[in-house]
Amino acid sequence: MKGNHMKELTKGFFKENPVFVIVLGLCPVLGVSTQVSNAIGMTAGVFFVLLFSNIIISALRNVIPGSIHIPAYIVVIASLVTVTEMVMHAFVPAVYSALGVYLPLIVVNCIILGRAEAFASKNTMLDSALDAIGMSIGFGMGITLIALIRELFGSGTITLFPVGDFGGVINIPWFYDNPVRVLSLAPGALLLMGYLKAFFDWNTSRKKGK
Amino acid sequence: MKKNIRYAFILLTICAVCAFALGWTNSITSPVIARQEIENKNKALQAVSNGWEIGEQKEVAGESFVTYMIPLTSAGKTSGYIVGLKGAGYGGELTLVGSYTIEGELLFAQMLTNSETPGLGKKSENEGYMDKFKGTGATSVVPTTKDMLSDSDAAAVSGSSVTFSAVAKAIKGGSDYVKTLGGAK
Repeated sequence: MKGNHMKELTKGFFKENPVFVIVLGLCPVLGVSTQVSNAIGMTAGVFFVLLFSNIIISALRNVIPGSIHIPAYIVVIASLVTVTEMVMHAFVPAVYSALGVYLPLIVVNCIILGRAEAFASKNTMLDSALDAIGMSIGFGMGITLIALIRELFGSGTITLFPVGDFGGVINIPWFYDNPVRVLSLAPGALLLMGYLKAFFDWNTSRKKGK
Repeated sequence: MKKNIRYAFILLTICAVCAFALGWTNSITSPVIARQEIENKNKALQAVSNGWEIGEQKEVAGESFVTYMIPLTSAGKTSGYIVGLKGAGYGGELTLVGSYTIEGELLFAQMLTNSETPGLGKKSENEGYMDKFKGTGATSVVPTTKDMLSDSDAAAVSGSSVTFSAVAKAIKGGSDYVKTLGGAK
């Protein structure tokens, strides 16, 4: 039983990684991954919404009839996203400002509705919460990896959050003076996503071959 | 019929609980957000005031790019104006403040609110973005297209032409408006 819970938690990391394996929620992944701080902020938003939507939908799975489950899920998810948006706007305005339009777009992020439909509506609250945590970590790993590569090569910087005297931006010598601009732009995001997806597919098939 | 009423009741209950949660969250966050907006505006006004005394805000109606203006005085004489500006960015309306000499030359400008794309149009919030417009509007023209910029400035706005155009047109609109106010009073 413990093993099953562990499986629900860890499957989202690599085996069913939402970005590189299930390929869900690519709009924010490609749009926000220009800076590492944006990727971390988006991960926090997705984590909150996915965790609570999975828990609520799992708790209501025997109450919501099948024929109205989609509108019911959308109401729950949209409300959680709006709560996240209001809280971020009030208490972390820098992250709210950086995420811009992608924060409200979490409503239509396929990971949220996908996990509600495919998992939370059929499983217990504990398993649904573990699934949400695992998937959020997997999403965070994917988007942060893409953001790290894009920002390092595209701008020569790594942007984190300002703390005390630290302004939040680390300039990386050589890369800062020789940026590959295309990686900061939308085509660069698509190219990088393609190469990383190919790498993960190759790695998976190599392991299966063994 | 009975089934439909049951479905409607379930949806109504879910919506009512969500509406209550949203209202409660809003009651906590909206005063904080309102306070932040006032602080941000005051900070921006101080930042663009050029050290001059900030006067009373006057609303401006019927202008495409100007929403309000504030006279700046130095030694009791009007030395310039802060102008509240708006433009149509890629993600919707953006607002900024600009300070001008009485001849319409831009002294400083700062972005206030926008919904531009992170990593692209959002760069308009960065320190230094407005430098390309400083000193323009009176004896030199406000650059409103990328080919009016230096190579490095044009590269910096690459991928966010709509944001650049919105900011440039708003700053030019502010300069044109200030020129209509007349000279030193």
